[in-house]
Amino acid sequence: MAKKRPRESPRQNPPVKVFIMDVTVAEYIRRTVLRIPRSETRTMLTRWKFLSDSQLQSLNTNQKKEDISREVVELCQENCATITHAADLDMIYSYTYRDKMLWDVYQMIREEGDENDFFDLANFTKKFEESLRSSFKNVTITFKEFEDNSIWIRVAWGAQYRKPNQYKPSYVVYHSQTPYVFICKSINKSSMPLLFQALLVAANYSDIHEMDLRSRCLDSLKDIVFKRCSKSFPTHHLQPLQEKNSNLENVDPRIIREDKHEKERIQRIDRETFGDGPQPKLEFAQYRLKTTFRGDLINDILPNIEPFRCTVKFSSPHLLEALRSLAPAGIADAPLSPLLTCITQKARNHFNIREREGAHSKNSPGQGRIYK
Amino acid sequence: MGENRASLQKGVLSHLEQLEAAAHEVALKRGELKAQEEDTARMKRRIKELRRQRDALRTKLDLCRSQLIGGKNTTNVDSGTTEAGQQALLEWKTETLKGLLQVFHLTGLSGKLTQRGACFCFSTAFENTYLDSYYLDLLIKQPVQILRHSVPPFIPLEQIAHKYLQTDIKRFLTVLSGHLNALAGRKFQVDQLQENYAAFLDGGLQGNSLCNLLEFSYRLARDSEAFPFVARLTYANLVSTLPTEATISCKEDAPAFLAELTAAHEALFREKPLHRVFSAITASTDSPSQSLSRESPLISSTSLSSEGHDGRHPPEAAAK
Repeated sequence: MAKKRPRESPRQNPPVKVFIMDVTVAEYIRRTVLRIPRSETRTMLTRWKFLSDSQLQSLNTNQKKEDISREVVELCQENCATITHAADLDMIYSYTYRDKMLWDVYQMIREEGDENDFFDLANFTKKFEESLRSSFKNVTITFKEFEDNSIWIRVAWGAQYRKPNQYKPSYVVYHSQTPYVFICKSINKSSMPLLFQALLVAANYSDIHEMDLRSRCLDSLKDIVFKRCSKSFPTHHLQPLQEKNSNLENVDPRIIREDKHEKERIQRIDRETFGDGPQPKLEFAQYRLKTTFRGDLINDILPNIEPFRCTVKFSSPHLLEALRSLAPAGIADAPLSPLLTCITQKARNHFNIREREGAHSKNSPGQGRIYK
Repeated sequence: MGENRASLQKGVLSHLEQLEAAAHEVALKRGELKAQEEDTARMKRRIKELRRQRDALRTKLDLCRSQLIGGKNTTNVDSGTTEAGQQALLEWKTETLKGLLQVFHLTGLSGKLTQRGACFCFSTAFENTYLDSYYLDLLIKQPVQILRHSVPPFIPLEQIAHKYLQTDIKRFLTVLSGHLNALAGRKFQVDQLQENYAAFLDGGLQGNSLCNLLEFSYRLARDSEAFPFVARLTYANLVSTLPTEATISCKEDAPAFLAELTAAHEALFREKPLHRVFSAITASTDSPSQSLSRESPLISSTSLSSEGHDGRHPPEAAAK
């Protein structure tokens, strides 16, 4: 009854027997299929390439999702699916719905030297797996390269005498030869150092640190750290910027817009700080303040004032676009504070603001320093 | 009368002398008077002339004012010819300058002064195709700093900056431009290969972001079952669009005559861009009529730029 598997998977090394499908695998596939929207089921299963064309043809996607998932599990049973295949499907789902996860950006640092880096995917995966397995045997590691040249790594962590938990895996997204790693953290925080170690070994770096840049939109994070934001750089070849809202100019000539110059100034400043293109999508920016109140009066009343601690969090479905529209809408003065506009340039949306050393004696307001 | 008498006493000749002297004096005075008259006349003429000029300027000014008020629909009447000439000269100058800028654009490197420094634009190209542009905003003061840039993260910008930025900005720019051009060129080759020769490749190309390592399996004919050749190209020189090392291996089950081709292929890969190699090796095995009908646009493009594999890379040349 069992068909020959249509797909070779050379990097798999499943601890599970091939002939009888593991119960957890079956359940995992069932649940993964349940997560896929009905309209997407067929395309995603086609992308999976695990089921044969005839199997896909026979699949009825117009029935209840419960039934679809059961049918898919039966087909997988025929093809002797292993956890690697199940993880593969999960990766396709996660890649498609990558904006459902919260991504953290990490930066790796390399010591001097190693200029010629011939990145080889096979070598990378081998090193990663070796490193991780050397310290933690009980893991499921799956790799997949997607069409945007990103390498996805899925790690499901196990525990002592317990199988890896497929439902809470860590996802790592890496682009070869870049120092940046995008990680969707698993619940299992203690496993992070192992993950970092494996990444450093595989990508040949010596240290890794968090960049304080977080968002749900993975592609925007990539745009920010890979400097792909369409910032307007001044050149001689730029097309003259087209005037927006030019239809307003042709109204009654007796109407004079008194704030025309001010409006133009705001628009210009806005364009200089944010550029013309669409902004990368971030959901929030957080500022942790630890500063003292300043001013003569306060100093007289409270000579030894404790620093004032608070956290300011800006959130919006599209934070940077929201910030960009603040000044033109007349809600804030232009230019905005550099603390708000430096997000893409500094590639971080978490800031700690502390007192500048010795600033309290100078008594000058607005002097703060951004620390890590 | 007494005088006359005295002169008579002294003699007629001396009297005549006196008369002569008086006549001379009178003539001098007359001459002076005449000169004065002439002077005043000239002055008057000059005044008239100046008045005329003043009036002309006044009318011109009025005309200009009325033009400014009245709008741009009236044209200059009296001194239009000289102004039109000036205008034409200015236009010509701007055109020349624009042309010069265009020429700089063609070199792949152009810059614009900004408030704090300069913003450079690297326009990359390979053969006859313009590719991506990258930007670099520099703060020009000691020490020179990179304010912002759009250079991809896998270009070793920091290392290049560390080497040259403080000592030799020109060198820094040419080296960076070389890296960017080579990257764009390698990417372009890969894209061309995947676009035009997908039928000869087994799946995709295995590569990396810098495109300095490429691995793929290929075949020479569309109808053959297997992909007997495995290529591994390494580009150790990051400012070059050609591989420094090309290793072609033949799968064990492949026929012997194919195995003999590997050395020739290796040489080709080292000398020519990827898509040129494929146009050469696949065309040589296909019958000419087939390849013509199938890939006529490709063949025309080969013949167009067959004189050199790298049509334009001035920064590289300058760097060397």
